[in-house]
Amino acid sequence: MTKNSSIRSLVCAKLALLSSVTFISTAHAEGHAAATYGPFPVTLKGYDGSKTNSVSYTGQIARHVLHDSLKKLAGKGDGGGNAASLEAEMMAYFGGSDKNKAIIAPADKDGFEIKQETLNEISSGKNLSGKTYKGVINGWPGMMTGPEVIASMIKHAAQTDGGFDPNTGYNYPQLISKFTMGAVSYNQAVNNYLAGKLEADSKPNSKPYKDGKHYTGKEHSWDEAFGYWGAAAHSLGLTAKQNYDIAKMKDVAAADANGDGMVDLKSEYNFGHAYYASAFDKSGKTDYFNTITQAFIDGRMVITDAAGENLTDAARSELKALAAVIGENWEKVIAEAVFKYAGSVYKDIGALKSEMDSGADTSKTFAKYGKHWGELKGFALALQTGKRNLGETAVRLNRLTGFGPVLMNASQVTGMDPDGHYTKDEAISWGEYQMHMLKIQKLMVKEFKVVAQVNDQLENLSALADKLGDSNSAEND
Amino acid sequence: MYYELLENFWGNFLDPKKRIFAGYLLSAILIAFLWLVFRRNLSGREAVVKIFDRTVLFSRSSFADIKVFFINRVFTFFISPLLITQLVIATAIFNLLISLEWSVSNFGDIVPTPLVIASFTMFVFILDDLTKYIVHRWMHKLPFLWALHKVHHSAQHLTPMTIFRTHPLEGVVFSMRSAFVQGVSISVFFYIFGNKVDLATILGVNIFVFIFNALGSNLRHSHIGIRYWNWLEYILISPAQHHLHHSVASEHYDKNFGATLAIWDWIFGSLHHSVESETLSLGVDDKSDRDPNSLSDLYIKPLATCFRELVKYPIVITNYFARKLSKFRSCALDDSVSIETTNQSTRH
Repeated sequence: MTKNSSIRSLVCAKLALLSSVTFISTAHAEGHAAATYGPFPVTLKGYDGSKTNSVSYTGQIARHVLHDSLKKLAGKGDGGGNAASLEAEMMAYFGGSDKNKAIIAPADKDGFEIKQETLNEISSGKNLSGKTYKGVINGWPGMMTGPEVIASMIKHAAQTDGGFDPNTGYNYPQLISKFTMGAVSYNQAVNNYLAGKLEADSKPNSKPYKDGKHYTGKEHSWDEAFGYWGAAAHSLGLTAKQNYDIAKMKDVAAADANGDGMVDLKSEYNFGHAYYASAFDKSGKTDYFNTITQAFIDGRMVITDAAGENLTDAARSELKALAAVIGENWEKVIAEAVFKYAGSVYKDIGALKSEMDSGADTSKTFAKYGKHWGELKGFALALQTGKRNLGETAVRLNRLTGFGPVLMNASQVTGMDPDGHYTKDEAISWGEYQMHMLKIQKLMVKEFKVVAQVNDQLENLSALADKLGDSNSAEND
Repeated sequence: MYYELLENFWGNFLDPKKRIFAGYLLSAILIAFLWLVFRRNLSGREAVVKIFDRTVLFSRSSFADIKVFFINRVFTFFISPLLITQLVIATAIFNLLISLEWSVSNFGDIVPTPLVIASFTMFVFILDDLTKYIVHRWMHKLPFLWALHKVHHSAQHLTPMTIFRTHPLEGVVFSMRSAFVQGVSISVFFYIFGNKVDLATILGVNIFVFIFNALGSNLRHSHIGIRYWNWLEYILISPAQHHLHHSVASEHYDKNFGATLAIWDWIFGSLHHSVESETLSLGVDDKSDRDPNSLSDLYIKPLATCFRELVKYPIVITNYFARKLSKFRSCALDDSVSIETTNQSTRH
């Protein structure tokens, strides 16, 4: 990635933001200006109940909590002793449970008190499996659908010690988490609520979303997409660092919008990809978080402005334009994560090679490598669950990443047998696999125009160029 | 602007990446002193007087070198941002290499890191020196480049500051050469060896470049004609060999283009062993009575000559092809005549 293309991408991102902001401010010059996602008035015609706020996305927050808790559980294996019970417990969070399950994560931390302790305090009867991408996941062994992949990962995770399997290099908490975030949240938002449900004949604005509900079809569809995005309702007024620190549970003052001393997961916490967006935005090179969150707020205002009538074609076009901004930027956030972790894996391989050269203990670095690879793979798979068919890009990404990381004995997972056991074969060389990571970074720049480019391994090239000195010398012999 | 120029000037004396770094100048003075005392049998005082010869250091030629240095900084200020950098070339080549889908062997994995660093450091040094030789040769052989390079050769006295006596356009050529060398070296080594690649340095400078500079590289542009043993002058260019390169004598034309290594001159037939520098007359054998230290001769005239030489190229090329075409047509005509003659004779 050249500096020029970085600058170009940055300018494009800024222009996209600027144009979206200009566009919206023109469209809503009448006076609505919302800095937070809600409350928005009830506009449903004929509604005579007592509700005054039509915003509702607790189901999505519940799914974020299911995800966070599942990730935590995936690291609780004791090497096989608790495999059966742990698998059952994880499946209860993935597939849903009749019981009111405890919130395992995010849970109270010193100075960061969470308001809810159980899932039913947020929303009851929710699961992840029903909302997981149903297509075949080509980048994972076994030719399984999204829910089958996660169920398989859960089964294997339960048998590990602490979530990491050194025989395959799989770090299940990372794999499950990063893939689920894409297969559930990203997929549902961009493939469903911001796609088909924006059409005129789907969830019309003149009718309740479901009989008895106080919000309209379009209002709730948009709210659900926002819920999957995961940003706190008041987050637009915060800095990238504050939003990041909320997800890291470090800044209760920024999170606690209503000042009750507790963080309400339903509206005051940053989940999922919103958290990653804030992490990239901290660099100052990108503004994914605000771009996406602003587009959600603006879209909600378009729907509110319709005052319970069916949306006009112009209004739906406006919504679709905003949905496109959201989708493109969301995809970039995931691509940035792929870029970042490809860089981490590259660095880890370098460290492993040095340790191998010197005969030092590689176990800690190998575990770190597995963790980063899990993040890379999870995000790479997530990227393929969006609205767009990535075609050749997906094939290249999957081949470059492989089914598993190159292992210390120069083997690599190459498939899965009919019994669900991973099969391994001779791996490519460390050097070649390391080069694959650079190719992944290049692919992310070329196909997704990523800008933040955290862990850019070509920086080493740049450092070397600096070391060689100024080529612009006029010394003459 | 003035402050920046002065800072830039003094900065050269403090930066070990620059030839006139104070440390290199001091080592050159020390080497010159030892040479004069032990080889030329001068007293210490005589050696010092010789080294700091006022007729050289305060010559018009020497002042012109400094004048060119400052004026060139202004040109550099405007031209520099437009020039392609080594990083751009390195990134472009590297991206090309990784897009070729070649299967990289595990060569990079098995070569120990110190060997990778040593190889890279040496590769950069050798490629840098070879391309300096080639470009320097072009500067002398191609008339439009010689018009520019002549500025450097117009110095009648050599001092360490003479390395800056360069036409700004020649500076652009140097810059592109350096960017090419560094871009190729970085990208190819990074492609093969990844993060193992590093540069072995002393004070942040390529170790070979540092040694070359610390061993008196500044004496190349000086009036102290240190000569090496005959055999060593096949390998390394001695200061006296470079003085000969600046000689106006026709038998010394186009000799000793090398920067550090004499090997290139040896291989390509341009090597000339050193002679006593004191016998040499330096500069350009220009029959005109023009002042080689005037701004006009340092900047404008070279540009005009360069342009005049360049515009000759289309004419030269056209004439070349015209001659070829004419030759071809006359051959074709001869053939047809002979065939006709043959036919006629057959008929008879």
